[in-house]
Amino acid sequence: MTVQTAELAACVERVETHFHHILDQLESMRAPLVGLFDRGPVDADTARSSIEPLVRTFLATSDIVGAGYVAARGALDDQPLYLAWWQGDDQHLLAEPDAPATGAPLDYTRHPWFRTPERTGEPHVTGPYVDFVCTDEYVMTSTTPVFSHGRMVGVVGADTLVETLEKLLLPTFRAVGATLVNDLGRTVMSADPHQATGSLIDLEECSQVVSCARLPLSVVRR
Amino acid sequence: MATVRRPATRARSAIFAPLGDEGRAVRVENRLAEAIRSGVLADGERLPSEPELASMLGVATVTAREALVALRAQGLVTTTRGRGGGSFVTRPEPSSVDELGSRLTAMSRVELRDRGTIYGVILAGCAELAAERSDPTDVEGLRQLLVEAEEPDVGVWRHADSELYLSVAALTQSARMTREVVRLEADFGALLRMPLADEDFRTETCARHAALVDAIEQHDAATARTCVKEHVGDALERLADVHASMQ
Repeated sequence: MTVQTAELAACVERVETHFHHILDQLESMRAPLVGLFDRGPVDADTARSSIEPLVRTFLATSDIVGAGYVAARGALDDQPLYLAWWQGDDQHLLAEPDAPATGAPLDYTRHPWFRTPERTGEPHVTGPYVDFVCTDEYVMTSTTPVFSHGRMVGVVGADTLVETLEKLLLPTFRAVGATLVNDLGRTVMSADPHQATGSLIDLEECSQVVSCARLPLSVVRR
Repeated sequence: MATVRRPATRARSAIFAPLGDEGRAVRVENRLAEAIRSGVLADGERLPSEPELASMLGVATVTAREALVALRAQGLVTTTRGRGGGSFVTRPEPSSVDELGSRLTAMSRVELRDRGTIYGVILAGCAELAAERSDPTDVEGLRQLLVEAEEPDVGVWRHADSELYLSVAALTQSARMTREVVRLEADFGALLRMPLADEDFRTETCARHAALVDAIEQHDAATARTCVKEHVGDALERLADVHASMQ
Protein backbone atom coordinates (compact mmCIF):
# COMPACT_ATOMS: atom_id res chain seq x y z
CA MET A 1 0.00 0.00 0.00
CA THR A 2 2.73 2.45 0.99
CA VAL A 3 4.72 1.46 -2.06
CA GLN A 4 1.72 1.91 -4.33
CA THR A 5 0.94 5.28 -2.78
CA ALA A 6 4.52 6.34 -3.45
CA GLU A 7 3.75 5.87 -7.15
CA LEU A 8 1.22 8.68 -6.90
CA ALA A 9 3.79 11.02 -5.37
CA ALA A 10 5.01 12.26 -8.77
CA CYS A 11 1.42 13.26 -9.65
CA VAL A 12 0.93 15.03 -6.32
CA GLU A 13 4.18 16.90 -6.80
CA ARG A 14 3.20 18.15 -10.26
CA VAL A 15 -0.16 19.40 -8.98
CA GLU A 16 1.44 21.11 -5.98
CA THR A 17 4.12 22.74 -8.15
CA HIS A 18 1.47 24.31 -10.39
CA PHE A 19 -0.90 25.55 -7.69
CA HIS A 20 1.68 26.50 -5.04
CA HIS A 21 3.38 28.74 -7.60
CA ILE A 22 0.00 30.42 -8.15
CA LEU A 23 -0.67 30.80 -4.42
CA ASP A 24 2.82 32.34 -3.95
CA GLN A 25 2.10 34.86 -6.70
CA LEU A 26 -1.29 35.66 -5.16
CA GLU A 27 0.48 36.32 -1.88
CA SER A 28 2.72 38.88 -3.62
CA MET A 29 -0.38 40.55 -5.17
CA ARG A 30 -2.13 40.62 -1.82
CA ALA A 31 0.61 42.54 0.00
CA PRO A 32 0.38 45.91 -1.85
CA LEU A 33 -3.44 45.84 -1.61
CA VAL A 34 -3.36 45.29 2.15
CA GLY A 35 -0.95 48.26 2.40
CA LEU A 36 -3.37 50.44 0.41
CA PHE A 37 -6.49 49.53 2.34
CA ASP A 38 -4.71 49.86 5.70
CA ARG A 39 -3.90 53.50 4.85
CA GLY A 40 -7.50 54.57 4.14
CA PRO A 41 -10.27 54.62 1.52
CA VAL A 42 -9.33 53.15 -1.88
CA ASP A 43 -10.93 53.76 -5.28
CA ALA A 44 -11.02 51.35 -8.23
CA ASP A 45 -8.27 53.12 -10.21
CA THR A 46 -5.83 53.05 -7.30
CA ALA A 47 -6.51 49.39 -6.55
CA ARG A 48 -6.09 48.52 -10.22
CA SER A 49 -2.82 50.37 -10.76
CA SER A 50 -1.32 48.99 -7.54
CA ILE A 51 -1.36 45.43 -8.89
CA GLU A 52 -1.36 45.85 -12.67
CA PRO A 53 2.42 45.38 -13.24
CA LEU A 54 2.51 42.31 -10.97
CA VAL A 55 -0.48 40.74 -12.71
CA ARG A 56 0.87 41.38 -16.19
CA THR A 57 4.19 39.73 -15.34
CA PHE A 58 2.36 36.85 -13.65
CA LEU A 59 0.20 36.32 -16.77
CA ALA A 60 3.20 36.45 -19.09
CA THR A 61 5.26 33.96 -17.10
CA SER A 62 2.73 31.38 -15.83
CA ASP A 63 0.35 28.77 -17.21
CA ILE A 64 -2.72 30.78 -16.30
CA VAL A 65 -5.42 32.43 -18.41
CA GLY A 66 -6.43 35.32 -16.16
CA ALA A 67 -5.61 36.97 -12.84
CA GLY A 68 -6.37 40.00 -10.72
CA TYR A 69 -8.17 41.52 -7.76
CA VAL A 70 -11.92 41.28 -7.19
CA ALA A 71 -13.42 43.76 -4.75
CA ALA A 72 -15.78 42.81 -1.94
CA ARG A 73 -19.12 44.65 -2.09
CA GLY A 74 -18.61 48.21 -0.87
CA ALA A 75 -14.85 47.82 -0.27
CA LEU A 76 -13.99 50.46 -2.89
CA ASP A 77 -15.33 53.94 -2.30
CA ASP A 78 -16.38 54.60 -5.92
CA GLN A 79 -17.69 51.23 -7.20
CA PRO A 80 -20.00 48.74 -5.45
CA LEU A 81 -18.59 45.77 -7.37
CA TYR A 82 -15.37 45.79 -9.39
CA LEU A 83 -12.91 43.41 -11.01
CA ALA A 84 -9.31 44.52 -11.66
CA TRP A 85 -8.93 41.35 -13.68
CA TRP A 86 -6.83 40.78 -16.79
CA GLN A 87 -7.20 37.78 -19.05
CA GLY A 88 -6.49 36.23 -22.43
CA ASP A 89 -3.57 36.49 -24.82
CA ASP A 90 -4.13 40.23 -25.03
CA GLN A 91 -4.35 40.59 -21.22
CA HIS A 92 -7.51 42.70 -21.56
CA LEU A 93 -9.08 44.23 -18.46
CA LEU A 94 -12.48 43.30 -17.06
CA ALA A 95 -13.89 46.01 -14.85
CA GLU A 96 -17.67 46.15 -14.59
CA PRO A 97 -19.23 42.80 -13.74
CA ASP A 98 -22.03 42.51 -16.32
CA ALA A 99 -24.28 39.48 -16.45
CA PRO A 100 -23.57 37.78 -19.77
CA ALA A 101 -27.13 37.64 -21.08
CA THR A 102 -28.95 40.60 -19.59
CA GLY A 103 -26.07 43.08 -19.16
CA ALA A 104 -27.35 43.86 -15.66
CA PRO A 105 -24.74 44.10 -12.88
CA LEU A 106 -23.72 40.63 -11.80
CA ASP A 107 -23.23 39.82 -8.13
CA TYR A 108 -20.14 37.63 -8.22
CA THR A 109 -19.93 37.50 -4.42
CA ARG A 110 -22.19 34.43 -4.33
CA HIS A 111 -19.74 32.35 -6.37
CA PRO A 112 -17.66 29.76 -4.51
CA TRP A 113 -14.32 31.29 -5.58
CA PHE A 114 -15.37 34.41 -3.65
CA ARG A 115 -17.51 32.89 -0.91
CA THR A 116 -15.15 30.12 0.23
CA PRO A 117 -12.10 32.27 1.10
CA GLU A 118 -14.52 34.78 2.63
CA ARG A 119 -15.89 32.08 4.91
CA THR A 120 -12.61 30.36 5.79
CA GLY A 121 -10.17 33.28 5.63
CA GLU A 122 -7.83 30.92 3.75
CA PRO A 123 -6.71 30.51 0.13
CA HIS A 124 -8.91 28.19 -1.92
CA VAL A 125 -8.93 26.46 -5.27
CA THR A 126 -12.42 26.28 -6.80
CA GLY A 127 -13.43 24.02 -9.62
CA PRO A 128 -13.36 22.59 -12.12
CA TYR A 129 -16.40 24.66 -13.16
CA VAL A 130 -17.66 26.67 -16.13
CA ASP A 131 -16.86 30.29 -15.34
CA PHE A 132 -19.37 32.62 -17.00
CA VAL A 133 -18.25 35.69 -15.05
CA CYS A 134 -14.73 36.07 -16.47
CA THR A 135 -13.38 33.57 -18.98
CA ASP A 136 -16.44 31.68 -20.31
CA GLU A 137 -14.22 28.62 -20.08
CA TYR A 138 -13.87 25.47 -18.01
CA VAL A 139 -11.40 26.48 -15.33
CA MET A 140 -9.96 26.11 -11.85
CA THR A 141 -9.79 29.36 -9.92
CA SER A 142 -7.28 29.94 -7.12
CA THR A 143 -8.26 32.74 -4.73
CA THR A 144 -6.69 34.27 -1.62
CA PRO A 145 -8.65 36.63 0.65
CA VAL A 146 -7.39 40.17 1.19
CA PHE A 147 -8.00 41.43 4.72
CA SER A 148 -7.64 44.95 6.06
CA HIS A 149 -8.62 46.07 9.57
CA GLY A 150 -10.22 42.66 10.12
CA ARG A 151 -12.53 42.97 7.11
CA MET A 152 -12.27 41.10 3.80
CA VAL A 153 -11.90 43.76 1.10
CA GLY A 154 -11.81 41.27 -1.75
CA VAL A 155 -9.85 38.38 -3.18
CA VAL A 156 -6.83 38.10 -5.45
CA GLY A 157 -7.03 35.19 -7.83
CA ALA A 158 -5.93 33.40 -10.96
CA ASP A 159 -7.68 31.08 -13.43
CA THR A 160 -6.12 27.97 -14.92
CA LEU A 161 -7.85 26.33 -17.89
CA VAL A 162 -8.61 22.66 -17.22
CA GLU A 163 -7.26 22.11 -20.71
CA THR A 164 -3.91 23.56 -19.58
CA LEU A 165 -3.82 21.20 -16.59
CA GLU A 166 -4.53 18.29 -18.88
CA LYS A 167 -1.59 19.24 -21.10
CA LEU A 168 0.72 19.76 -18.13
CA LEU A 169 -0.26 16.80 -16.00
CA LEU A 170 -1.89 14.03 -17.98
CA PRO A 171 1.33 12.23 -19.05
CA THR A 172 2.39 11.87 -15.38
CA PHE A 173 -1.10 10.67 -14.41
CA ARG A 174 -1.29 8.17 -17.28
CA ALA A 175 2.01 6.63 -16.25
CA VAL A 176 0.44 5.45 -12.97
CA GLY A 177 -3.28 5.28 -13.87
CA ALA A 178 -4.27 8.12 -11.52
CA THR A 179 -7.14 10.62 -11.36
CA LEU A 180 -7.13 14.17 -9.96
CA VAL A 181 -10.28 15.11 -8.03
CA ASN A 182 -11.39 18.05 -5.91
CA ASP A 183 -12.63 17.80 -2.32
CA LEU A 184 -16.17 17.12 -3.54
CA GLY A 185 -15.02 14.21 -5.69
CA ARG A 186 -15.29 16.05 -8.99
CA THR A 187 -12.86 14.80 -11.63
CA VAL A 188 -10.34 17.35 -12.89
CA MET A 189 -8.70 14.87 -15.23
CA SER A 190 -8.06 11.17 -15.30
CA ALA A 191 -5.78 8.60 -16.86
CA ASP A 192 -8.98 6.64 -17.51
CA PRO A 193 -10.50 7.94 -20.77
CA HIS A 194 -13.98 6.92 -19.54
CA GLN A 195 -13.72 9.00 -16.38
CA ALA A 196 -14.96 12.28 -17.84
CA THR A 197 -13.71 15.61 -16.56
CA GLY A 198 -16.44 17.14 -14.43
CA SER A 199 -17.99 13.82 -13.41
CA LEU A 200 -18.28 12.92 -9.72
CA ILE A 201 -16.61 9.95 -8.08
CA ASP A 202 -17.19 8.51 -4.66
CA LEU A 203 -13.89 8.94 -2.80
CA GLU A 204 -14.92 6.12 -0.44
CA GLU A 205 -14.66 3.73 -3.35
CA CYS A 206 -11.07 4.64 -4.21
CA SER A 207 -8.40 2.28 -2.93
CA GLN A 208 -5.85 5.08 -2.70
CA VAL A 209 -6.36 8.75 -1.94
CA VAL A 210 -3.41 11.12 -1.53
CA SER A 211 -4.17 14.74 -0.62
CA CYS A 212 -2.17 17.60 -2.08
CA ALA A 213 -0.67 19.91 0.53
CA ARG A 214 -2.60 23.21 1.11
CA LEU A 215 -4.98 22.34 -1.76
CA PRO A 216 -8.54 20.92 -1.80
CA LEU A 217 -7.32 18.38 -4.36
CA SER A 218 -6.41 14.70 -4.19
CA VAL A 219 -4.75 12.21 -6.47
CA VAL A 220 -6.71 8.95 -6.39
CA ARG A 221 -6.70 5.49 -7.84
CA ARG A 222 -9.64 3.08 -7.89
CA MET B 1 -24.04 3.49 -62.54
CA ALA B 2 -26.01 4.07 -59.41
CA THR B 3 -27.34 7.54 -59.14
CA VAL B 4 -26.75 9.43 -55.94
CA ARG B 5 -30.06 10.23 -54.34
CA ARG B 6 -30.40 13.93 -53.88
CA PRO B 7 -33.59 14.77 -52.06
CA ALA B 8 -34.66 18.22 -53.12
CA THR B 9 -35.21 19.39 -49.58
CA ARG B 10 -35.94 22.97 -48.73
CA ALA B 11 -32.69 23.14 -46.81
CA ARG B 12 -30.76 22.14 -49.95
CA SER B 13 -32.49 24.61 -52.16
CA ALA B 14 -31.88 27.31 -49.57
CA ILE B 15 -28.14 26.59 -49.71
CA PHE B 16 -28.02 27.03 -53.47
CA ALA B 17 -30.40 29.95 -53.67
CA PRO B 18 -28.81 33.03 -55.18
CA LEU B 19 -27.57 35.51 -52.61
CA GLY B 20 -29.30 38.73 -53.48
CA ASP B 21 -27.83 41.86 -52.00
CA GLU B 22 -31.14 42.66 -50.28
CA GLY B 23 -30.95 39.34 -48.42
CA ARG B 24 -27.38 40.11 -47.49
CA ALA B 25 -28.21 43.41 -45.83
CA VAL B 26 -30.71 41.61 -43.58
CA ARG B 27 -28.12 38.98 -42.73
CA VAL B 28 -25.50 41.59 -41.89
CA GLU B 29 -28.10 43.40 -39.80
CA ASN B 30 -29.13 40.22 -37.94
CA ARG B 31 -25.58 39.16 -37.29
CA LEU B 32 -24.60 42.53 -35.84
CA ALA B 33 -27.88 42.87 -33.91
CA GLU B 34 -27.35 39.51 -32.26
CA ALA B 35 -23.74 40.39 -31.39
CA ILE B 36 -24.90 43.66 -29.83
CA ARG B 37 -27.76 42.10 -27.83
CA SER B 38 -25.55 39.29 -26.53
CA GLY B 39 -22.82 41.76 -25.54
CA VAL B 40 -20.15 40.39 -27.90
CA LEU B 41 -19.97 43.93 -29.27
CA ALA B 42 -19.74 46.16 -26.23
CA ASP B 43 -21.85 49.23 -25.52
CA GLY B 44 -20.09 52.32 -26.92
CA GLU B 45 -17.73 50.28 -29.08
CA ARG B 46 -16.88 51.89 -32.43
CA LEU B 47 -17.89 49.80 -35.42
CA PRO B 48 -15.61 49.65 -38.47
CA SER B 49 -16.39 52.24 -41.17
CA GLU B 50 -18.86 51.31 -43.94
CA PRO B 51 -16.11 50.41 -46.48
CA GLU B 52 -14.16 48.44 -43.82
CA LEU B 53 -17.28 46.60 -42.69
CA ALA B 54 -18.16 45.84 -46.32
CA SER B 55 -14.75 44.38 -47.09
CA MET B 56 -14.63 42.37 -43.83
CA LEU B 57 -18.03 40.83 -44.51
CA GLY B 58 -17.49 40.45 -48.26
CA VAL B 59 -20.49 42.58 -49.25
CA ALA B 60 -20.94 45.77 -51.24
CA THR B 61 -20.52 49.08 -49.37
CA VAL B 62 -24.13 49.93 -50.14
CA THR B 63 -25.18 46.68 -48.40
CA ALA B 64 -23.19 47.51 -45.26
CA ARG B 65 -24.76 50.98 -45.30
CA GLU B 66 -28.24 49.50 -45.61
CA ALA B 67 -27.60 47.21 -42.62
CA LEU B 68 -26.34 50.15 -40.53
CA VAL B 69 -29.44 52.18 -41.41
CA ALA B 70 -31.60 49.30 -40.18
CA LEU B 71 -29.53 48.94 -36.98
CA ARG B 72 -29.92 52.68 -36.34
CA ALA B 73 -33.67 52.31 -36.79
CA GLN B 74 -33.60 49.51 -34.20
CA GLY B 75 -31.68 51.82 -31.86
CA LEU B 76 -28.72 49.45 -31.71
CA VAL B 77 -26.26 51.80 -33.40
CA THR B 78 -25.72 55.55 -33.11
CA THR B 79 -23.87 57.44 -35.80
CA THR B 80 -22.09 60.74 -35.24
CA ARG B 81 -20.47 62.90 -37.90
CA GLY B 82 -17.25 64.88 -38.08
CA ARG B 83 -13.89 64.24 -36.45
CA GLY B 84 -14.02 61.34 -34.02
CA GLY B 85 -17.37 60.42 -35.51
CA GLY B 86 -18.51 57.02 -36.69
CA SER B 87 -20.99 54.31 -35.83
CA PHE B 88 -21.12 53.22 -32.20
CA VAL B 89 -22.80 50.28 -30.54
CA THR B 90 -25.77 51.24 -28.35
CA ARG B 91 -26.73 48.30 -26.24
CA PRO B 92 -30.48 48.36 -25.52
CA GLU B 93 -31.67 48.55 -21.93
CA PRO B 94 -32.00 44.87 -21.13
CA SER B 95 -35.40 45.17 -19.51
CA SER B 96 -36.74 47.93 -21.73
CA VAL B 97 -40.34 46.92 -22.26
CA ASP B 98 -40.59 48.97 -25.45
CA GLU B 99 -37.64 47.23 -27.03
CA LEU B 100 -38.93 43.79 -26.05
CA GLY B 101 -42.39 44.68 -27.32
CA SER B 102 -41.13 45.80 -30.70
CA ARG B 103 -38.97 42.70 -31.05
CA LEU B 104 -41.94 40.51 -30.22
CA THR B 105 -44.27 42.32 -32.61
CA ALA B 106 -41.76 41.91 -35.42
CA MET B 107 -41.82 38.13 -34.98
CA SER B 108 -44.13 35.77 -36.76
CA ARG B 109 -45.92 33.05 -34.80
CA VAL B 110 -43.81 30.41 -36.48
CA GLU B 111 -40.59 32.19 -35.52
CA LEU B 112 -41.76 32.44 -31.92
CA ARG B 113 -42.38 28.67 -31.81
CA ASP B 114 -39.12 28.01 -33.63
CA ARG B 115 -37.05 29.98 -31.10
CA GLY B 116 -39.05 28.60 -28.17
CA THR B 117 -38.37 25.04 -29.29
CA ILE B 118 -34.60 25.33 -29.37
CA TYR B 119 -34.56 27.26 -26.10
CA GLY B 120 -36.77 24.68 -24.36
CA VAL B 121 -34.95 21.61 -25.64
CA ILE B 122 -31.51 22.96 -24.75
CA LEU B 123 -32.49 24.19 -21.28
CA ALA B 124 -34.33 20.94 -20.45
CA GLY B 125 -31.25 18.99 -21.52
CA CYS B 126 -29.06 21.22 -19.36
CA ALA B 127 -31.29 20.58 -16.33
CA GLU B 128 -31.01 16.84 -16.88
CA LEU B 129 -27.20 16.91 -17.04
CA ALA B 130 -26.98 19.38 -14.15
CA ALA B 131 -28.91 16.92 -11.96
CA GLU B 132 -26.40 14.20 -12.79
CA ARG B 133 -23.38 16.39 -12.18
CA SER B 134 -24.19 18.77 -9.34
CA ASP B 135 -22.44 18.81 -5.97
CA PRO B 136 -23.70 20.37 -2.69
CA THR B 137 -21.84 23.66 -3.31
CA ASP B 138 -23.56 24.00 -6.67
CA VAL B 139 -26.98 23.44 -5.12
CA GLU B 140 -26.25 26.07 -2.44
CA GLY B 141 -25.41 28.53 -5.26
CA LEU B 142 -28.66 27.74 -7.11
CA ARG B 143 -30.78 28.20 -3.97
CA GLN B 144 -29.49 31.75 -3.64
CA LEU B 145 -30.98 32.52 -7.04
CA LEU B 146 -34.52 31.52 -6.06
CA VAL B 147 -36.80 34.52 -5.64
CA GLU B 148 -39.48 34.80 -2.95
CA ALA B 149 -43.00 34.50 -4.41
CA GLU B 150 -43.88 37.88 -2.83
CA GLU B 151 -41.03 39.78 -4.53
CA PRO B 152 -42.82 42.61 -6.40
CA ASP B 153 -39.91 43.84 -8.58
CA VAL B 154 -40.17 42.17 -12.00
CA GLY B 155 -36.60 43.26 -12.80
CA VAL B 156 -35.31 41.20 -9.88
CA TRP B 157 -37.26 38.21 -11.19
CA ARG B 158 -35.96 38.55 -14.73
CA HIS B 159 -32.36 38.86 -13.61
CA ALA B 160 -32.48 35.99 -11.11
CA ASP B 161 -34.30 33.78 -13.61
CA SER B 162 -31.69 34.36 -16.30
CA GLU B 163 -28.85 33.74 -13.89
CA LEU B 164 -30.51 30.58 -12.60
CA TYR B 165 -30.67 29.16 -16.11
CA LEU B 166 -27.09 30.19 -16.87
CA SER B 167 -25.97 28.52 -13.65
CA VAL B 168 -27.85 25.34 -14.52
CA ALA B 169 -26.18 25.39 -17.95
CA ALA B 170 -22.77 25.79 -16.29
CA LEU B 171 -23.45 22.66 -14.21
CA THR B 172 -23.35 20.59 -17.38
CA GLN B 173 -19.57 21.18 -17.01
CA SER B 174 -19.52 22.14 -20.68
CA ALA B 175 -18.16 25.59 -21.55
CA ARG B 176 -19.58 25.38 -25.08
CA MET B 177 -23.03 24.53 -23.76
CA THR B 178 -22.85 27.46 -21.35
CA ARG B 179 -21.83 29.86 -24.11
CA GLU B 180 -24.70 28.59 -26.23
CA VAL B 181 -27.13 29.26 -23.38
CA VAL B 182 -25.65 32.75 -22.91
CA ARG B 183 -26.44 33.35 -26.58
CA LEU B 184 -29.97 31.94 -26.24
CA GLU B 185 -30.59 34.00 -23.11
CA ALA B 186 -29.58 37.19 -24.89
CA ASP B 187 -31.53 36.24 -27.99
CA PHE B 188 -34.76 34.84 -26.57
CA GLY B 189 -34.57 34.69 -22.76
CA ALA B 190 -35.66 38.31 -22.29
CA LEU B 191 -38.79 37.70 -24.39
CA LEU B 192 -39.65 34.52 -22.55
CA ARG B 193 -39.53 36.46 -19.26
CA MET B 194 -42.15 39.01 -20.33
CA PRO B 195 -44.93 36.90 -18.72
CA LEU B 196 -43.20 37.43 -15.34
CA ALA B 197 -45.17 40.69 -15.25
CA ASP B 198 -48.15 38.49 -14.20
CA GLU B 199 -48.30 37.67 -10.53
CA ASP B 200 -49.80 34.20 -10.99
CA PHE B 201 -47.00 33.29 -13.39
CA ARG B 202 -44.47 34.46 -10.79
CA THR B 203 -46.11 32.20 -8.21
CA GLU B 204 -45.88 29.22 -10.55
CA THR B 205 -42.31 30.09 -11.50
CA CYS B 206 -41.37 30.16 -7.84
CA ALA B 207 -42.79 26.67 -7.23
CA ARG B 208 -41.32 25.14 -10.38
CA HIS B 209 -37.86 26.57 -9.81
CA ALA B 210 -37.80 25.38 -6.20
CA ALA B 211 -38.76 21.93 -7.51
CA LEU B 212 -36.01 22.18 -10.13
CA VAL B 213 -33.31 22.91 -7.55
CA ASP B 214 -34.64 20.08 -5.33
CA ALA B 215 -34.47 17.67 -8.25
CA ILE B 216 -30.92 18.78 -9.07
CA GLU B 217 -29.95 18.29 -5.42
CA GLN B 218 -31.42 14.77 -5.42
CA HIS B 219 -29.71 13.92 -8.73
CA ASP B 220 -33.19 13.30 -10.17
CA ALA B 221 -32.50 14.02 -13.83
CA ALA B 222 -35.99 13.12 -15.12
CA THR B 223 -37.76 15.50 -12.73
CA ALA B 224 -35.26 18.29 -13.37
CA ARG B 225 -35.91 17.97 -17.10
CA THR B 226 -39.67 17.97 -16.59
CA CYS B 227 -39.56 21.09 -14.39
CA VAL B 228 -37.77 23.09 -17.08
CA LYS B 229 -39.84 21.66 -19.91
CA GLU B 230 -43.09 22.58 -18.17
CA HIS B 231 -41.85 26.00 -17.17
CA VAL B 232 -40.58 26.96 -20.62
CA GLY B 233 -43.72 25.46 -22.17
CA ASP B 234 -45.97 27.53 -19.91
CA ALA B 235 -43.91 30.70 -20.51
CA LEU B 236 -44.14 30.12 -24.24
CA GLU B 237 -47.95 29.74 -24.18
CA ARG B 238 -48.26 32.95 -22.18
CA LEU B 239 -45.88 34.71 -24.52
CA ALA B 240 -48.00 33.51 -27.47
CA ASP B 241 -50.97 35.28 -25.81
CA VAL B 242 -48.96 38.47 -25.36
CA HIS B 243 -47.86 38.18 -28.99
CA ALA B 244 -51.42 37.68 -30.22
CA SER B 245 -52.68 40.64 -28.19
CA MET B 246 -50.06 42.91 -29.79
CA GLN B 247 -50.91 42.06 -33.36
